[in-house]
Amino acid sequence: MIRVPMAESTPAVEIRNLSKEFRTSFRRKPLRAVDDVSIRIMPGEVYGLIGPNGSGKSTTMKALLGLVAPTSGSCAIFGKDSLKTDSRNEVGFLPENPYFYKHLTGAETLRFYGKLCGLYGKALAARVDELLDLVDLTNARDRRVGGYSKGMLQRIGLAQALIQEPRLVILDEPTAGVDPVGSREIRDLILKLRDRGITVFLCSHLLEQVQEVCDHVGIIFRGRMIREGRLEELISIEDQTDIVLKDASSELLEKITALVAATPGASVVRTGKPRTTLERLFLREIKEEKP
Amino acid sequence: MTAIQHQPLQGSHFRRILVIAANTFTQLVRMKVFYFMGIFAVIAIASNFFDLPQHEGPESVGSNVLRSIKSWSLGAMTLFSVVLSVVATALLLPKDVEDRTLYTILAKPVPRFDYLAGKLTGVLMLVFVSLLVMDLLMTAVLHIRTGMVVEQQMEMARAMGWPPEAIDSLRAETLANGPNLSLQGAVLAVFLRASIMASLALLISTFSTSTLFTTIVSFLVYFIGHFQADARDVWLHAGQEGEGVFARLAALLFSLILPDFQLFNVIDAVIEGQAMSLIALGKLTLVGLYYAVFFTFASWFIFADKEF
Repeated sequence: MIRVPMAESTPAVEIRNLSKEFRTSFRRKPLRAVDDVSIRIMPGEVYGLIGPNGSGKSTTMKALLGLVAPTSGSCAIFGKDSLKTDSRNEVGFLPENPYFYKHLTGAETLRFYGKLCGLYGKALAARVDELLDLVDLTNARDRRVGGYSKGMLQRIGLAQALIQEPRLVILDEPTAGVDPVGSREIRDLILKLRDRGITVFLCSHLLEQVQEVCDHVGIIFRGRMIREGRLEELISIEDQTDIVLKDASSELLEKITALVAATPGASVVRTGKPRTTLERLFLREIKEEKP
Repeated sequence: MTAIQHQPLQGSHFRRILVIAANTFTQLVRMKVFYFMGIFAVIAIASNFFDLPQHEGPESVGSNVLRSIKSWSLGAMTLFSVVLSVVATALLLPKDVEDRTLYTILAKPVPRFDYLAGKLTGVLMLVFVSLLVMDLLMTAVLHIRTGMVVEQQMEMARAMGWPPEAIDSLRAETLANGPNLSLQGAVLAVFLRASIMASLALLISTFSTSTLFTTIVSFLVYFIGHFQADARDVWLHAGQEGEGVFARLAALLFSLILPDFQLFNVIDAVIEGQAMSLIALGKLTLVGLYYAVFFTFASWFIFADKEF
């Protein structure tokens, strides 16, 4: 049997009017963790779901993976109902702060997940080598996962999510608790996945990170989707334009300011030196320190 | 990175169960559970020395030591297999939930039944291998000691001038206390009892909130299982005077849900040198299978709708 790729028009993720309530106790009103949320992610998109802690991000992801059943609404992965096991053929998942079997080495961990997906023999061995190389853990392949650092755990987690070459990858807070270098590595990996046409659905409360990798975002707050759309459209300020100059003299700046002042309807909002981010500064400094 | 190839995903239920079972087995082995083997070796060898002096005659010489070896060895096997079955099963499931490892497994195309069956099979594989090693050690010790006892008895009987028929009869009687098929049947019964306990602990851990609760309730059921037959008899006897039919139905339901461990008393009979019939072993196997399958499917029933 050959798996025929689904038509591009089939969404990778289709969440329709999802609501999820949890019972806290018999007397109290049920807690509505997700309230009428709809998300549609097309193949190849990188979608970031952002929101504060406890806003319903993880519950939405769990419902999409069939780990919780919706109170109402439905979830589908490439057109397959999330509550059915076969919907998980096309998806890889990295939970928040994952811990894998401490008794296994990195390579054994990937072999275990590969076998669960029906991979065996040389194909599995080649896939394990390839993924360990991708996440830069080849040197730690025979070390037990119990001794891995937080960043290494996230990377082996990402590798296990990719083991069966899924078309959709779901990442729950992929850089939570990881240092800036590790965080950058994970971000680069997400960009690599995007380049390969893999759909990525990630949730995070680290907004800068989401802005760097996502092309679509949704903002969820107290279980409700309050804003959604293309990132560029959401964050651009339509009536303003940036001009960044290099080695501009004070005379040139004065001329530009005068020209703007002489133009009816236009005004200078702000001038000054652009700043790098603390993260970029940190990464540049440690790169320079490295021999 | 190679290009994305969407190959059909292979893998049957059976294969996935085996993968999870093998992982569980490795996990328990690497938790150094087999250290118990060292303690068992000490018990099996030490039980050789628990021989009370005999003065009655050649027929009694050394018989007690053979029973002592069997009794201590089967006792240690029972203790180890029941404790391991309950504790390992009660520990593994909540640990996977706590570490979120379960999410990564269930996010793969793994049906929940396969996960449960894999975990249970892994624990049972470990119990089986452990019992096999302990059985081999017990059989070896018993074989050597039976040879020594028979030789000693024959020497004494000949010295006392016993007729050849009586000597042959004595030899057969002593060999019945040595390693034989009934003894292997008793070890199988120990394994069946452990299987029931493991599947029971699995059932409890699907709705329990802690490992401690699962362990305590499992051992409580184990305890009840040892006197439930007596309680049932007393109850039915009382019921004959009044609501006989209802009492009988309730008793039947009770025994369908709670295992009757008195059936495993045949192990004690084997220690005493009695033979275990194939029918008795077959009956025990059926009972063991019934409870293990019943508890596993009940676990699945609860686990299938569980939310994480």
